[in-house]
Amino acid sequence: MPSMVGNKRFKTALLYTLAFIVLIIMVFPYLYMILSSLAPWEQVDRKIIPTKLTLRSYEWLLTGGENVIPRPWLRAFFNSLLVTVSSTLLMLTTAILVGYSLAKLKFKGNRLINNMILFQMFYPAIILLIPLFLIIRYFGLYDTYWAMILPKAVNLWAIFMYTNFFRSIPDELIEAAKMDGAGQLKIITRIILPMSKSITTIIFLFLFMERWVELLWDMLVVNSEKMLTLNVLLAQMFGPYGGYPGPMYAASVLLTLPILILFIIFSRNFKEGMQFVLK
Amino acid sequence: MNKTTARLGWLLASPYLIYSFIFFLFPLIWALYLAFTNWNLIAPDYETVGLQNFIEAFFSQSVRAAFWTTYKFMLMFVPIVVAGALFLALIIHSLPRLKGLFSVGYFLPYLASGVASAIVVKGVLSYNSPLNIFFRNHLGMDINWLDSPILAPLMIALMMAWKFVGYYALLFLSGLESIPKEIYEAAEMDGAVGWKRFWYVTIPMLYPSFYTVTILAVGLMFGIFTEPYVLTGGGPDYSTHTWQLEIYNQAFEKLNAGYGTAVAIINSIVTFASILVFRKILEKWGAKHGWE
Repeated sequence: MPSMVGNKRFKTALLYTLAFIVLIIMVFPYLYMILSSLAPWEQVDRKIIPTKLTLRSYEWLLTGGENVIPRPWLRAFFNSLLVTVSSTLLMLTTAILVGYSLAKLKFKGNRLINNMILFQMFYPAIILLIPLFLIIRYFGLYDTYWAMILPKAVNLWAIFMYTNFFRSIPDELIEAAKMDGAGQLKIITRIILPMSKSITTIIFLFLFMERWVELLWDMLVVNSEKMLTLNVLLAQMFGPYGGYPGPMYAASVLLTLPILILFIIFSRNFKEGMQFVLK
Repeated sequence: MNKTTARLGWLLASPYLIYSFIFFLFPLIWALYLAFTNWNLIAPDYETVGLQNFIEAFFSQSVRAAFWTTYKFMLMFVPIVVAGALFLALIIHSLPRLKGLFSVGYFLPYLASGVASAIVVKGVLSYNSPLNIFFRNHLGMDINWLDSPILAPLMIALMMAWKFVGYYALLFLSGLESIPKEIYEAAEMDGAVGWKRFWYVTIPMLYPSFYTVTILAVGLMFGIFTEPYVLTGGGPDYSTHTWQLEIYNQAFEKLNAGYGTAVAIINSIVTFASILVFRKILEKWGAKHGWE
């Protein structure tokens, strides 16, 4: 029945067209951001596709702005990078250690800690906001990198994910390694970690992007301009620099592009990894 | 040997324990105390004021605004994001190939910082933007998107829907993939095809995904900060004023630390109660379709 085959092919083509149109809509804001950052200033927000491209907005950012007080945009980018990378690595490391101890080491208190984590995960963090700020100030950490890193050095969701994943690793593997004389540290680095590659990728991506776009906390605990993260600096400059939309788009690109690239690099096994995370 | 295992267990769990003591337990107790004081974040002296903060919050116009704004956001955001996510999941699910590529593509908005997307939204909605020129010249409509107490929250709800729809679509997708083929075959024998099959088989079978997505989306509405902070500052006329904005304003703009903490406690009680109600409603709907 050739007509039915043709009909089916037509339907598939239609489906892909629809999928593609939706994809364009989903990434349109990103495209708009990139195009606007490269547009001549008189065309920003006036034309969707600029008639010619220029790097003026980026130059403006790197030199800190023309007539106004120079702002440390580049430094803000590195602040973001420093804070996000340290915080994410700490969250990953602690989650792996805690997750391993809860999943594979039998000790009194194991269950209690597990329940505490579950309780904390569903506890509204907003209550803690003000006292946390006071603690940071009390320890003299206000306006330091530590203020942005330490309160985000442990992540409950990541612990929870690793605990569940490690539970699915058979005990026999660990026992066998012990027989061969491997210590616990070796077991973690040689057996457990290589087995957790795909879930580690997903957890890393989620932790990284959530930390990267944090606004409220980073805004509260840091004051001096050279300490601000890019997200905070952009949020603060957006209002007063309303007359410079081009550079605002350039800063948005600086804020968005690294994480998009990182994500696309690591997204090869995204769908499979997500299956575990979403369970 | 058991003893060393136990010791190692505590040792490895200790980062969590130390962290929780400093950054959870201690601030939690402090918050419960602060909420009953009139401390202004600076003065060395303050006193306990009993329930005064809570009473004041109850009659405060801005707290009431935050309360209602949250449900308004919910009314706009939840249906859009749930329907949108289901739609995206259905597209991905029915593609013969490239499922992974489109899942990743639809997920990309989740990576956006609220600040960057606020800049795009403000630009697209600015007075001389192509969109507004189109509305003025071709439809004769002069719309002040962000100055309208109805459109401003809608724009924020749409922004958030854009960000989360691809993420929630993945939840629906794994729901769709877990529906056994036999059920579809059985339904076909009973004459359920096309829309009928979708409505009477697929939708009820997706109940667990609906449940998760709805609860996540509802919960999200109680934690909105970045988008209104950058885009509207809570205005116009409190129409985008959220709980987090209220708490931030009280504690860090007006320096009412005690009062701000009291509002935060009220916020979490309201959040908890609201989510409980939504869960009960969803569970009732699920029970009607045979889900425990």
